[in-house]
Amino acid sequence: MKNDYSQSPLISVRDLQKSFGDHKVLNGITVDIAKGDVVCVIGPSGSGKSTFLRCLNRLDEPTGGEIIFDGVNICDPSTDIDLHRQKMGMVFQQFNLFPHMNILRNLTIAPMALQKKSKEEAEGYAMELLERVGLANRAKDYPLQLSGGQQQRIAIVRALCMKPEVMLFDEPTSALDPEMVGEVLEVMKELASEHMTMVVVTHEMGFAREVASRVMFLDGGDFLEENAPEEFFSNPQNDRLRDFLSKVL
Amino acid sequence: MWEDFKSQFILNFVDDGRWHYLANGLLVTLKLTFFSVLLGLVLGFCIAMIRNIHDNTGKLKIPNFLCNLYLTVIRGTPVVVQLMIIYFVIFGSVRIDKVLTAILAFGINSGAYQAEIFRSGIQSIPKGQMEAGRSLGFSYLETMTRIIMPQAVKNVVPTLLNEVITLLKETSIAGYIALEDLTKGGDIIRSRTYSAFMPLIAVALIYLVMVRLLEFAAKKVERRLKKNEK
Repeated sequence: MKNDYSQSPLISVRDLQKSFGDHKVLNGITVDIAKGDVVCVIGPSGSGKSTFLRCLNRLDEPTGGEIIFDGVNICDPSTDIDLHRQKMGMVFQQFNLFPHMNILRNLTIAPMALQKKSKEEAEGYAMELLERVGLANRAKDYPLQLSGGQQQRIAIVRALCMKPEVMLFDEPTSALDPEMVGEVLEVMKELASEHMTMVVVTHEMGFAREVASRVMFLDGGDFLEENAPEEFFSNPQNDRLRDFLSKVL
Repeated sequence: MWEDFKSQFILNFVDDGRWHYLANGLLVTLKLTFFSVLLGLVLGFCIAMIRNIHDNTGKLKIPNFLCNLYLTVIRGTPVVVQLMIIYFVIFGSVRIDKVLTAILAFGINSGAYQAEIFRSGIQSIPKGQMEAGRSLGFSYLETMTRIIMPQAVKNVVPTLLNEVITLLKETSIAGYIALEDLTKGGDIIRSRTYSAFMPLIAVALIYLVMVRLLEFAAKKVERRLKKNEK
């Protein structure tokens, strides 16, 4: 049973809007994300898909609407967003590992400082996860000594070390050399198979088709269509989606 | 020629133990430089933080205004004027230690320049670092102190050491408040022996050696920091 719809959705986005000055990037997006969902967000560049993702943990501050996460409206100025971000892991296009710390420190700094884990506990869990992505032997190395694909796998592990309830991926393979894309997608696939809730902004249509439970299409700041991957790719309804798919597939 | 040189040397440095003026002066110069740099470090760091917090969050409006005022005044006026104002105006009626006054003046002056150095250091860190820290749940301040500053400080160490060199040379104006630093020491010898060449060249050489030593140290530090990166 992948989706547990008996509970209220994990993330409920209501009429989410975002403008940069006069420029409107998101025109009221409404969507529910259930526990265990793997939502892939696709769309042409400039469609607002990254902004949508970054609004989910308020790295970009929404200018309207609300986001209910774990039953709390995190857009309310009185919520402690730092506390909620601990439960929302994020993976960036540019990895953004901390270059002045070794890998193990990258993975343990947040659990130790924010969740008051002991060093042993944090390192034990970090090593366990590193083992699973096949990078345990690099624990004492520094990020810049690693390849892009390895850095991105570490970045995923860094987010996982906080034991998040949802993982947000912002074009995680776009900055990678082609031969390294596979190893990162493999880790994400494994996560999905363990029923981690994931929101993934991506250009990897193959990944979306194979792994997603739902695919969302954004264009021009509008949420135009969503469907299960087979329907989405084989029987698109919206004209702009059909046009987009004809270009990328 | 050699005899002449020798007698001049003895007259300027040996007679009456005149080399003491240079030795004691050098100690004062080093003391001034060291403590002014420390004071400037603290001031510069705090100012850079306040301005950065203001630029990124819009908070701390009044402290930010005060910082900008301070930077404008200090960077817009000569350090010798600042030194005299602090000594003759601000502490005009109270007798406090001259060295302390000078440290205050040079420290406040250096703080303005170090603030800019720190600020550029902070700005040199890619904004993805702040986002990564925030996305893990760190507050703005925690991300600043745990993630941004350690990298920024590392980036600015070479520039900061340059500031130390500048400051070392700048303290040579301490004589304006009758503080006997290295330059003043040489000048006192000149006024006693009526020969300018020997004492002034000696003072210049001592500064030069100090600066070269600092440059050497800066290179060493820079190389070590680079090595840690990879």
